[in-house]
Amino acid sequence: MIGPVLSVRGLEVAFGSQDRRVPVVRGVDFDVYPNEVLCIVGESGSGKSVTALAVSGLLPATAKVEGSILLGGTEVIGADAESLRNMRGQEVGFIFQDPTTTLNPVLPVGRQVTEGQVAHGRLSKADAPARAVELLREVDIADPLGRAGQYPHQFSGGMRQRAVIAMAMAGRPKLILADEPTTALDVTVQAQVLSVLARRQAETGAAVILITHDLGVVAEIAHRVAVMYGGRIVETGPVGEIFKRPRHPYTAALLQSIPRIDTGNRRLDPIPGQPPNPSALPSGCAFHPRCVIGRDRTRCRTEDPMLHRVGETQFSACHFSEQTNAIGIAAQPRCESSRSEIAKEPLLIIDQLKVHFPVKAGLLRRTVGSVRAVDGVSLTVNAGETVSLVGESGCGKTTTGRAVMGLIKATGGNILFNGQSIRDLGRAGLRKARRQMQYIFQDPYSSLNPVLTVADIVAEPLRIHGIYDEMGGASRIAELFDMVGLSRTMLGRYPREFSGGQKQRIGIARALALQPRLLILDEPVAALDVSIQAQIINLLQDLQRELGLSYLFIAHNLSVVRHISDRVAVMYLGRIVEESTRDSLYEAATHPYTQSLLSAAPVPDPAIQRKRRRIVLQGEIPNPASPPSGCYFHPRCFRASARCATEMPPFEQYLRSPTRSACHHAGPLAEGGDIPTIGGSSGYRPMEAAS
Amino acid sequence: MNRMMRASAMTRRLLTRKGALFSLIFLAAITGAAAFADLLSLDPLSQDLVNALEKPSAAHWFGTDELGRDIMARAVYGARTSLLTAAGAVGIAAMVGIPIGLVAGFFGGWRDAVLMRAVDVLLALPGILFAMAMIAVLGRSQTAALIAVGVTGIPSFARVTRAQVLALRKRDFVTAVEAFGGTSTYNMFRTILPNAWSPILVQVVVLASVAILLEAALAFLGVGIPPPTPSWGEMLRTGKSFLYEAPYYAVLPGLVLTLTILSFDSLGRSLTWLLEDRHELVELNVERAKP
Amino acid sequence: MIGYVLRRITQLLPVLLIASLGIWAMIYAVPGGPIGVIVGENATQEQIDAATRQFGLDRPVLVQYGAWLKNALVGDLGVSIHSREPVLDLIAQRLPATIQLAIASTLVALLLGIPIAITSALFPDSWLDRALSGWSALALGVPTFWLGILLILLFAVELRWLPSASGYVPFWESPIQMMRNIALPALTLGVYVSGILARFLRASLVGELQADYVRTARSKGLRERDIIGRHVLRNALLPFVTIVGLMMANFIGGTVVTEAVFTYPGLGRLLITAISTRDYPLIQGCILVILVIYVAINMTVDVLYAYIDPRIEYA
Repeated sequence: MIGPVLSVRGLEVAFGSQDRRVPVVRGVDFDVYPNEVLCIVGESGSGKSVTALAVSGLLPATAKVEGSILLGGTEVIGADAESLRNMRGQEVGFIFQDPTTTLNPVLPVGRQVTEGQVAHGRLSKADAPARAVELLREVDIADPLGRAGQYPHQFSGGMRQRAVIAMAMAGRPKLILADEPTTALDVTVQAQVLSVLARRQAETGAAVILITHDLGVVAEIAHRVAVMYGGRIVETGPVGEIFKRPRHPYTAALLQSIPRIDTGNRRLDPIPGQPPNPSALPSGCAFHPRCVIGRDRTRCRTEDPMLHRVGETQFSACHFSEQTNAIGIAAQPRCESSRSEIAKEPLLIIDQLKVHFPVKAGLLRRTVGSVRAVDGVSLTVNAGETVSLVGESGCGKTTTGRAVMGLIKATGGNILFNGQSIRDLGRAGLRKARRQMQYIFQDPYSSLNPVLTVADIVAEPLRIHGIYDEMGGASRIAELFDMVGLSRTMLGRYPREFSGGQKQRIGIARALALQPRLLILDEPVAALDVSIQAQIINLLQDLQRELGLSYLFIAHNLSVVRHISDRVAVMYLGRIVEESTRDSLYEAATHPYTQSLLSAAPVPDPAIQRKRRRIVLQGEIPNPASPPSGCYFHPRCFRASARCATEMPPFEQYLRSPTRSACHHAGPLAEGGDIPTIGGSSGYRPMEAAS
Repeated sequence: MNRMMRASAMTRRLLTRKGALFSLIFLAAITGAAAFADLLSLDPLSQDLVNALEKPSAAHWFGTDELGRDIMARAVYGARTSLLTAAGAVGIAAMVGIPIGLVAGFFGGWRDAVLMRAVDVLLALPGILFAMAMIAVLGRSQTAALIAVGVTGIPSFARVTRAQVLALRKRDFVTAVEAFGGTSTYNMFRTILPNAWSPILVQVVVLASVAILLEAALAFLGVGIPPPTPSWGEMLRTGKSFLYEAPYYAVLPGLVLTLTILSFDSLGRSLTWLLEDRHELVELNVERAKP
Repeated sequence: MIGYVLRRITQLLPVLLIASLGIWAMIYAVPGGPIGVIVGENATQEQIDAATRQFGLDRPVLVQYGAWLKNALVGDLGVSIHSREPVLDLIAQRLPATIQLAIASTLVALLLGIPIAITSALFPDSWLDRALSGWSALALGVPTFWLGILLILLFAVELRWLPSASGYVPFWESPIQMMRNIALPALTLGVYVSGILARFLRASLVGELQADYVRTARSKGLRERDIIGRHVLRNALLPFVTIVGLMMANFIGGTVVTEAVFTYPGLGRLLITAISTRDYPLIQGCILVILVIYVAINMTVDVLYAYIDPRIEYA
């Protein structure tokens, strides 16, 4: 048997000063073997990233590290700077989260890729440029010769991350550490990067540690999984076992709480409470306050459980791991009763909406063109219905939402709310119309005014409209707090005292203050921890049922969308390419872009994941200032014909289905291999222009 | 109540920094002396030609000048001139500069272009030259010095405020107010301005030191506040003629001037540290998944 | 590239135009107006009428400005009231002295500022860093005219090594005399500016050292000095170029005070003399020349910055 590449024992990391030390990692043991992908999953504050940094010795000097980290036979903890330096780039390579900042903006990419090898004396300066080109080619970067001399800002996000992979692999290290490598990327680009990473891992036989919060990514790429919570590994084992038979209540609850793209009717089972803050960990088992099994047990409250063997290769840190199976059976079906009662009366009609931003250039800053952020979008939201707008970054979904709200001026088309055109309204009319529809922002950290108390924040819309007393004043605010599940004792506090999920609840309470009929929700759960997302989704569904609200739900996460929507519209480069009822869209998509999106979204179930055929799209989203001719999607499309390059397809009903689609070749995915699947994605076309 | 508590907590934190503590003590002493100079039985104007250019002694701590006037008395009254000019000048700069920055940043477009080009004109010359040019036009007087120093300070307020507004303008809580139908005026004064105070406050302190320096420099060049009003710069100017006979004449008032400027500067840096530090504390707890 | 330069120039033109309008209008804001300035306060009505005709002051105001601007563009800045010499000649006599001082001061500032900043940034929050930051604060806070006086007291009055008043000696005539004369003013200005430079560069170095790409560079196993030399300095020096340029631009007019301390015969002294003798054509000329140089240096710095930063594309 081959020994492990990396062996971690009793790792403890603490930050802060002598008198106020905050333990972030509290006794972590694990091994990684050659040719293996180990995923470490956890939410914010679980200590997963710090663990990775500790392995590399890259933690800041303020961190106190104890235990043992053996990498290729060398002890990392306490090693001198020179041996650490020798280890990096030769024994271990790194891929970091944000590709926009991990590369030095003022040095050519090619030089950065090989620089480490040159520094270690394993590559001569003269050979470096050729080697850089070779490495870039290996990660599917088109025109590697030209690209090597370019600067990072000339690369798109996905290309940058592939360049970082090339850089990490340059020294053929035995271990690759990847910290959230695809979190900042769009789903189709994520699929490209993951497939390159998986291929290069297989080719080099390196061991990979991948840190992520996304269980879908885990299911897709992991061989083995370690789940972290409150600074410890709470469960570890082979990926199949972990997903099929989780033996720690946290793992089980987490799997129950996430929305899945392959099912949509289940009501989510959220984990109550918040992930613990490392500076105020609960006593005993860190998970016990949120645990169905351990909440009331003295043993869980007082005694921190050790990781123990629960299967052949599976370990769990739970006193009652054998009872974990009970979790999840209780999952209730989503409450469908109200669904059937949806009145088919349209509340919001978006008709051929256009938002174009001028592009100015030249000496006199003349308008030389326009970015067609939204280019003829038509959509209807009926009373009591949830319509979702999905797409990748830059597709215009947020701009559409903001234009409906009147926050961005529409340049063409019409918006009818309750039969009345909003575009014709004057300032006073718009003010009045805005009482009927409200906006919920993605980032709860920036959407609340930090100098006001949360009571004042929720009251602000009422005060602006001069109806604070009329609506019941303080008691109305307290009522709104009850509605969104916040305690009235919190009314006098400031936003910074709240967690992300609580802040989002405050944002919802504020939006409800004016008793609107329509909520525009712009990625309302995207910035939240996985275990918190389910709480907010359930809250939104409950509120909709109780108050008869309509939702225009804007999101990039297809699983969340499947969960919450009645109808779904998919956007690409400022246009809707497909729109249908939820189930027919997810079950029988007709547009190749929708099909690719659905196939690129990872499913948190390795069993299903292996059976799925993956479409890996080529290239990245073009610049909306100069969209391709004909069908905007044709340069990336696996079904494109000559006609697609010249003729823009009309948006029309597909056969007799509820689906409308804008494709010359609309239709279900063909059985058989006319599409590039995960193994066959060789060579990206030169279409992938830098944005 | 809560806000008061926060303010006092911030002040306590500020005073843990030695630099800030000493600066505040020194500035309090100088301000106190300047405010109550009349009670200190110091006379900056009475001449005593027999005892001209005396070395520092028990009777005259800082010595006497070429007309036998008490240098310390003149330094104390000079503090009054200096601090009043600085306060007035910072007031002028803030009253003009903050609204300019607010409007330019909030509305953008042609308003921004026009206002910021106008501010650029003020920056087209080094501050001291601009002030000198203004005094050349207005004639040499106390008011001229005040206006000249004040106008020179407008660009920094305008730019700092504009930068703040631009950063805040993109924040969702400002868009949110727009979304419930709040007017631009409401947004500017009730949402953005209360969030923009901290860097503006730092700017007030920084500009105070700049104003004191500029006022003294103008007086040193002989174009500031005209004599016989005591002024630190004027004392340095005259004292420079007596470097061989009476070095303390230029050195001691210069020391007071320098300590005042250093105190404001140090206070400004401590404030920046405090506000950034608070910012970091908030950010540290925000380790979150990005979409 | 040329397009970018042209665009910068078109952005600066309005500023220059408005500023020149202000400079020209100065004379109209003076008590007595332009005629009073030309003929003096006790002139007779005939003298006034003659001057009005001679200088075309009866023409519309905009025409007068146009004429003034046209003359200024070809280098005719009028005649000094006091010395009756062409303003441009007077300025041309003083400009070399100011430029020489500006260069010497910049050298002092760079030689002091850069090492201080790098040392500080390498050991952030150490006693060394605190001491050097304290030094920067001191250099910034001490008024140049007081520092100048202290230096004169030490090197001229006490030690008698250097002259207390500095004359202008061109470098190529006598480098040693030039050094002796320029040492104190250059040191005074240089110390002050080194404070600004050190504070700025330290802040940007510390900021860059925390950037993600530094962690990436470490993860590749680069040596710490290569990380600083190849990655960090390159990024930190980009904005630094702008600051150094601004400083140099400031030296052209901003040396007024230092020139006064050391009675150094530069452009600043000329301006002070002009103001105290109410020699308005000379005041206008000095300010206009300083303005043009100041704006030109600023623009050069902008263009240089765009040239060395690969991220800026001059489309």
